[in-house]
Amino acid sequence: MTMNPFEYGKALADSWAAAGKALLSAQEDANRAFAEGMKATAAAFGAAPALPELSGDMAELTHANQALMALWSEAATMSALLSSKLPAAGEASPTVDVTFRKMVDPRLWLAGGGEMDEALNRMTEGPRLADLWDVERRFARVLRAWLDVRRRALEHNAVVLEGWLRAGRSFADELVTLPTTGTDPKAPDAKALLALWTETANRVLLEMQRSERFLATQTASIRASTELRAAQRDLVEYYGERFGFPTRTELDDVHRTVTELRRELRALKRRDRPAVTAAAARQTAGG
Amino acid sequence: MAAQQPAAGGGTNPATDTVSEAAKLGTKLLTGTRLLNQVRDVDVQIATSAKDEVWRQDKITLHHYRPLADQRVKTPVLICYGLIGRWTMTDLQEDRSLVQNLLNLGVDLYVVDWGNPSRADRYLTLDDYVCGYLDGCISEMCRRAGVDRVNLLGVCEGGVFATCYAALEPERVNTLTLTITPIDFHADTVENRPGHGFINVWTRSLAPEDVDALIEAHGNLPGEFMGAVFNMMTPMRSLMKYNLDLLEVVDDEKKLLNWLRMEKWIADRPDHPGEAAKQWLKDLYQQNKLVRGELELDGRRVDLGRITLPVLNVYAKDDHIIPPATSCALRGKVGTGNYTELALPGGHVGVFVGGKSQKLFAPAVAGFLKRHD
Repeated sequence: MTMNPFEYGKALADSWAAAGKALLSAQEDANRAFAEGMKATAAAFGAAPALPELSGDMAELTHANQALMALWSEAATMSALLSSKLPAAGEASPTVDVTFRKMVDPRLWLAGGGEMDEALNRMTEGPRLADLWDVERRFARVLRAWLDVRRRALEHNAVVLEGWLRAGRSFADELVTLPTTGTDPKAPDAKALLALWTETANRVLLEMQRSERFLATQTASIRASTELRAAQRDLVEYYGERFGFPTRTELDDVHRTVTELRRELRALKRRDRPAVTAAAARQTAGG
Repeated sequence: MAAQQPAAGGGTNPATDTVSEAAKLGTKLLTGTRLLNQVRDVDVQIATSAKDEVWRQDKITLHHYRPLADQRVKTPVLICYGLIGRWTMTDLQEDRSLVQNLLNLGVDLYVVDWGNPSRADRYLTLDDYVCGYLDGCISEMCRRAGVDRVNLLGVCEGGVFATCYAALEPERVNTLTLTITPIDFHADTVENRPGHGFINVWTRSLAPEDVDALIEAHGNLPGEFMGAVFNMMTPMRSLMKYNLDLLEVVDDEKKLLNWLRMEKWIADRPDHPGEAAKQWLKDLYQQNKLVRGELELDGRRVDLGRITLPVLNVYAKDDHIIPPATSCALRGKVGTGNYTELALPGGHVGVFVGGKSQKLFAPAVAGFLKRHD
């Protein structure tokens, strides 16, 4: 049996929700195990816990995760609702159908809207130094920052998904005003439906991107990823200094010095440059 | 197999339509797959107009185009693109090339390439680019052409560089042509068109310390990052690009190559040097210092009123990146009555690659240059 585009979207949403939930659940377990291990290590050495308390961060991550999962569930319901109202989009045009299947896949909404997150993540997820035990504070800072990046990304994705739901509702509202049978000559074909969907989604997404919530969660995401990068650098530089490797900070110092020297050189050359008059220049050019 | 008969009453038969559409799609995909397999990088060259490197300093190179017609404008022209994207947009392909159009009209043309800034260039400032490198390019052009001033043609951020230079060194600039150049970075609110000016809104949503932290963390403003911001400005277009858009052109060699050339240009996203990015985002986008007369480069205030030379300000009517009002804000701010605006159809990139622009843009620029030569 061929699924229509919204059944396809619903199936993907269900699958994605289940997989995402399992992954995040595993992450939470791993984080909890790490924190407990750290506490046990500190206790074994008779020292006060050296690590920051991470349970609050994990609780917030869980909360953000649950919020997103709830939205996914709503997205699946929305897909089912649209599915029941969509007039035969699946059979009208294979060309459009191929595109339509992709366009209504909720994953694309997060993939497209989350491109910024991906760019940030690629930039922040640098060296992983997970097996080091003598720099607990630095490592914990990295972990905390990483948890925050995940949490902020989930919160931001939730805003994006809400936008998708708004677009879906708006699209559904417009659909009910259209003729629904394929034999009605006034019934929109699949291309017209795709155009309507694109126009509706674009309008809602653009509104969403200018909303305070979207901008706030995105800013929070940028801050979190920046802090993760800083925490990673701090950890790496700790080792760099211990083993005599040049650090980013040292290289930056060198680069700053070179830039300043070049700047001074340019200024000196400019100061000593003879004023080029048109006549003199023509004479030079003319040999 | 029996041929499908039209439905009774002369209407279309949905089943026939579906089979026919499926067959068309199959043919399209087959042709497209063959074309994509055949296309090689060498077939997707951009910026192919012949030119020679004539000057180099650090990573910056100055190129002089070889003439395609008798010289009709004596004073040389420097194309000054910004640090976001690359000048190759002005010479994307032979039939969509501002460079070729200007050369054909007898303009003596140069272009500056800012190279590929790396982490080692993070401390370069806008001061370095405007008062250092751009000044160096102009000196070399003057020396070679035997003149004491040049025509500047600035594009987008490069237009801001050219504007600043013309304000700081007006005696070295003959005319100033600006293209899709922001002057008042807060004027996106004038029209407030949906989907327009998102970079302005987005940048203002950040705190200055967020920008500092971002640059501190990454050294430069990564080109990939700016690419993501640009994609956010056209959300559905970005989502459809590699399915619907590609599907539209995949079986037409000419269209496919055009599409791939644009992709090649988009993919070339140099990193923006960190300190210069801080100035760009904080001093200009957030604090709007240029139009307020508060921007300082090399310890000198950039006073737009010092621009007493002829100005041609070209903007795109549907520019969602640089909304027209942000460009037109220059009107009344410069110290010359010889100020002209040219509104071109299309968007930010359409100015350079749009079919209508090809007939309007270069002739208008060449005419302006000739009148003030």
